[in-house]
Amino acid sequence: MPLILTHVPPIHWAIAGAWIAAVTLCLLFLANRRLGISTSLEDVCSLLIAQPYYRRGAVRSGRKWRLPFVIGLVLGGFLSALLSTGWSPTWDLGMFDDLIGFGHAGKVAWMFAGGLLIGFGTRLAGGCTSGHGIFGVSNLELPSLITTLSFMAGGIVTTQLVYRVIFH
Amino acid sequence: MLLFVLLGTIFGFILSRSGAADYNYIQGMFLFERFQLYGIIGTAVALTAPGLWILKRFGRTVSGRPIEIELKPLHRGNIAGGLLFGVGWSMAGMCPGPIFVNIGEGKLYAVAALAGALVGAGVFGTIYRRVQGPFRLPPLVLGTGEG
Repeated sequence: MPLILTHVPPIHWAIAGAWIAAVTLCLLFLANRRLGISTSLEDVCSLLIAQPYYRRGAVRSGRKWRLPFVIGLVLGGFLSALLSTGWSPTWDLGMFDDLIGFGHAGKVAWMFAGGLLIGFGTRLAGGCTSGHGIFGVSNLELPSLITTLSFMAGGIVTTQLVYRVIFH
Repeated sequence: MLLFVLLGTIFGFILSRSGAADYNYIQGMFLFERFQLYGIIGTAVALTAPGLWILKRFGRTVSGRPIEIELKPLHRGNIAGGLLFGVGWSMAGMCPGPIFVNIGEGKLYAVAALAGALVGAGVFGTIYRRVQGPFRLPPLVLGTGEG
């Protein structure tokens, strides 16, 4: 199946996984940092909200690398678009458009609601797919294994409900 | 700092081209219809795990400083937060990294997902002391873990 962005099939999963492992290990070996992206949400919050939670060491020290890293993520997505079909803004959302529809406003509301759960959930869990799922599980940390099983369960139940029951 | 932008750019490019930042592939994973994402995460873990083991045995970064890995604490938020995040991941078809990647790709709805995620993280940090007890979270100075 082609990607929504490039209209061509994705690169092989083994190659993608190897690159992700390489970046994760480089981050530790070159900069002594453990991969983790969801804390960048708190880094941004720390610039906007004056709450003691955002003044703790993990944010003040970590945002020096995480903010440049997530700027890189945006840049990586931009280059990926630019070097394929060319960069142009899009509302395309694949099977969501085919089966659920809504309009732009509905899509925005749906995404905002999903985002709320992502922001609150990842911070309550102490990490996301990268920090828990890849780094934590690779480092054999029990909290990471528990969190990973939990978010996979949450995702599986939700998608099955949305696409096999509600919008069937 | 340039190093982090570069590593992020590589990471973002790979997420973009592999399907990890693609709504259809995320749903395909949760529907058990596509192996792609399981292959990506599985390979990443299968290679990162021995890599970490070697780096920790070696014990030093490239500049010779001791490697320090702050472990994440165990608490009730792991399950509750994980479940909530899973619902959000399914709805948006993005986890935190791909939110940024999708914005870079020009997917306009990803901006709404980022706004929601920032509000969600903002609410969490603001009410930390109130959820700390019920979820047995660590003291505020430590937080739930850097990840």
